[in-house]
Amino acid sequence: METFFGLLVGNTLTRLVFFPTLAALPLLFMGRASARTVKIYVLVASVIEVIFGVLYVGAHAGADGSFPLVHDAGPDGLPWIASFGITYDLAMDGISMPLVLLGVFLVPIVILGSWKGIENHWPAFGGSMLLLTTGVIGALVAYDLFLFYIFWEVMLVPMYLLIGIWGGERRIYAAVKFFLFTMAGSLLMLVGILWMAWTFKGLNGGAWSFAYEDMLRLDLPVYQQLWLFAAFALTFAIKVPMFPVHTWLPDAHVEAPTGGSVILAGILLKLGTYGFLRFAIPLFPNATEAAQPLLITLAVIGILYGALVAWAQEDMKKLVAYSSIAHLGFVMLGLLALDIVAWQGALLQMVNHGLSTGALFLLVGMLYDRRHTKKFAEFGGLARVMPVFAFFLVFSSLASVGLPSLNGFVGEFMILIGSFRTLPWPTVLATFGVVLAAIYLLKMIQLTIFGPITKDENRNLRDLSLREIAALVPLCVFMLWIGVAPNGFLKPSLRALETTLADYKARVAAPEPTVASLRPAPGTAITADASSETGQ
Amino acid sequence: MTRADWMLLMPEIVLSLGGVLVLMLEAIVPKARRSFTVLSVLVALLAGWAAYLHTLPSAPLADTAATFGGLLETSPVTFAFSLVILLATVLALLASDGYLRREGILNGEYHALLLWCAAGLLLTLRATELLTIFLGLELFSLCLYCLAVFHRRVSIAGEAAIKYFLMGAFVSAFVLYGIALVYGATGSTRLAEISARLAGEPDIPVLASLGFLMLVAGFGFKMSVVPFHAWSPDTYQGAPSPFVAFLSVAPKVASALVVYRFLDAIVIGEGVAANSYKWSTVVAALAVLSMLVGNLLALVQRDIKRMLAYSGVAHMGYLLLALVVLDRDSLAPVLVYLLAYVLMNAGAFTVVAMLYNRPGEQHLIPDLGGWGYRYPLLGGCLAICMLSLGGIPPTVGFLGKYVVFLNAVGDGLVGLAVLGVVASLVGVFYYLRVVYYLYMKPETRQPEGLLIDVWGRAAAVLAAVGTLALGLWPTGLLQWLITATTGQ
Repeated sequence: METFFGLLVGNTLTRLVFFPTLAALPLLFMGRASARTVKIYVLVASVIEVIFGVLYVGAHAGADGSFPLVHDAGPDGLPWIASFGITYDLAMDGISMPLVLLGVFLVPIVILGSWKGIENHWPAFGGSMLLLTTGVIGALVAYDLFLFYIFWEVMLVPMYLLIGIWGGERRIYAAVKFFLFTMAGSLLMLVGILWMAWTFKGLNGGAWSFAYEDMLRLDLPVYQQLWLFAAFALTFAIKVPMFPVHTWLPDAHVEAPTGGSVILAGILLKLGTYGFLRFAIPLFPNATEAAQPLLITLAVIGILYGALVAWAQEDMKKLVAYSSIAHLGFVMLGLLALDIVAWQGALLQMVNHGLSTGALFLLVGMLYDRRHTKKFAEFGGLARVMPVFAFFLVFSSLASVGLPSLNGFVGEFMILIGSFRTLPWPTVLATFGVVLAAIYLLKMIQLTIFGPITKDENRNLRDLSLREIAALVPLCVFMLWIGVAPNGFLKPSLRALETTLADYKARVAAPEPTVASLRPAPGTAITADASSETGQ
Repeated sequence: MTRADWMLLMPEIVLSLGGVLVLMLEAIVPKARRSFTVLSVLVALLAGWAAYLHTLPSAPLADTAATFGGLLETSPVTFAFSLVILLATVLALLASDGYLRREGILNGEYHALLLWCAAGLLLTLRATELLTIFLGLELFSLCLYCLAVFHRRVSIAGEAAIKYFLMGAFVSAFVLYGIALVYGATGSTRLAEISARLAGEPDIPVLASLGFLMLVAGFGFKMSVVPFHAWSPDTYQGAPSPFVAFLSVAPKVASALVVYRFLDAIVIGEGVAANSYKWSTVVAALAVLSMLVGNLLALVQRDIKRMLAYSGVAHMGYLLLALVVLDRDSLAPVLVYLLAYVLMNAGAFTVVAMLYNRPGEQHLIPDLGGWGYRYPLLGGCLAICMLSLGGIPPTVGFLGKYVVFLNAVGDGLVGLAVLGVVASLVGVFYYLRVVYYLYMKPETRQPEGLLIDVWGRAAAVLAAVGTLALGLWPTGLLQWLITATTGQ
């Protein structure tokens, strides 16, 4: 029988999840080491993590380009807390694969981007970064609801430290707000998970289980689904963040150090949309159907509100932060359209947003390192003194706006096309968000890098160093790659999305359950032919 | 009284004799004082071993043995609770040595009183007869009163001890009166017989209800649940910090089991649904009040010891959630929660004892500013304990909350569970305050006159590592505790 430590040394998800934690342990004893040593150590560790990620995906990718569901330790996982039927079950499928890769890929970039910006307590910074990686990757691949909850909460503390220790003026306020908002949602989700576990136990002859695949079998009456959906959706909506529970995000972004912002926007927010796609929608289909109008309204409000508020900002970082709310509104719209094309677009857009917004935050941070301000009014005409910087800023902004041949276009276009089939009017409204995005991002470009140089301090700014370029180039390569050849990025997840959507549609189409019951175990019930006719 | 009876009493005997030994050494060879901590820890470990011997499958009285003609219970349950108390004792002893030396009050009396107190607590939690319970209560309470004023040159220690003593004495009278009422109503002081008598009655006598209410109130005082909590902030603040590491956990462990026994006698014994509903309401009210009042008052404290006192009130509120609907499954969550609480709370007070060196003044949280970097080990331990108290995974504090809330949801108390998680969200706020002062604020205080000794560090590390390790690998522990409490 496989053991945890056996898995840890193999090419497994366990290694992928826990290698960063193990790599963080020596940092406990590096308190006296020079900052340079620590930086290099953390960078090497995070690059190894990327290699592990690529190796794992490479080993399991299917021949036809799709990525199958792979469990780490057999379909049932390892027993962890046996008394409550809690298993250690990690699994990756086409939905989590791109997000996991994005997550591990961003860490070395963040380390490079923080090289100068983070001035003290490097062992703690590196340790927080690595622990955060464990939490994020773990939450993306956990296939047991209890385990998922643990990883979900594990993400909180390192992020809290990142904002609170290395943040700006109001960092403590922002850090505590971030912590409490996230925790408020997740504690209610915990009660929901406990309730589901009891219900499952009652229907399953007294045997506990928290396994995701077992929870999928629960067929609950609509009113129960609604309560549980509310608990789960609130948790994920706070994380996304959706209007009106988004207020922690601008604070957190503005106060967080560059590295924290990149990780926050790049991958942490995706956990919210991933939560909808993985848990809230498939587990409670009838409730999703009932709550769909409300959530779509909020998503569209988020798109327009985020864009309008971003337009009004005078601070570059705040602008990018609010643009995140708008972009994730698109992702939510795509998910709620419950259409296969929109879902593909939404998943791709999660990755896109991580790349382009990550790059924008890095660029803002590089400017901040030089001038210690992020206000538009302080800049202008930077293209003359920092041409390389100007190139990357324009490139990333255009990717974020959705210029054809860059990644943002593909994602937004698929979301809008897919959503239009099922939700014409909200989609029409959301399209204004694309226009607004062009307005506010072009405004940022215009005010910072074009026009005459108005401030004397800006005349002698250094252009980007090699290290900074090294952090940005990989992001831009992927932006272009996804933009011109998106198929390779869409294919791996298609099968998983189709299966999830087919299951959803089948359950919504079935008569509404009036009493809680268990559906038969998968493997036999959900037939393969159901997935091929979906979305058409 | 057979030989077996005496053998089963061995843990208490070992602790008492150990206390006497320390006291004799204090009188005869005062120079041996420096070794009292090690000696006392060894005594506590020996007591734990003695208790363990009687739970071995080969032991003659392994399961629910009635000792001394049914006055005491010896079972896996009492063994588990005893171990938790001995753990608290060991942690407090380790934390005390540096403090006593720093303050120049290193005397054998301290160790002796602590060991006797542990003996009293073990006796109390094993007692199944009301007068024996009272005897144990008095034994441990008297030791606690003396220890609270042990640093007698500090004026607020006197205030702390007097407050605790006066209210404690009042509560003792309350308990005694409750015993009298129950005896009057049922004609027995043995809980098993009382339970049996009450089961025969169509409706429970008012006298018995009143008596049990007084008994629960008395031990509610020791657990410091609202509305019997008023003593704890003042007492915690004035009493020696390493002793508070003991006071804030160990009496609550024993009292929780005693309260369970009382509720067990009256609720399960009576078998009348209407009455069990009444008792559920009483316990639920205590739980809700404790969670809300404890958390809200902890929110506004600036003194870390007072904050931990009020947060302790809230923790007992969560704990009581497991007892609202009483069944045999209630005991495992209680035990897990108590174990978690002992580790994280004693760990926190251990660090507090080392990092604050003016026992007569306030222990302000802002005084910890930036010390997470100056004292990485202690700061890290304190931060872990705080996160665990806040119930953040993967710590044992989360595990405790998880089992308690799981039990509550399973009993159909979803509303109470939601209230509990909302209350614990408030808790997270003030626990985080300690963390951000440790790591995110500049230093405000010069580290002068501190004595950070190896024993204190060992206690802090033990607590913090235990907190994390049991949070990550709870399997064996949970399995064992569930087996111990449900007998399955």
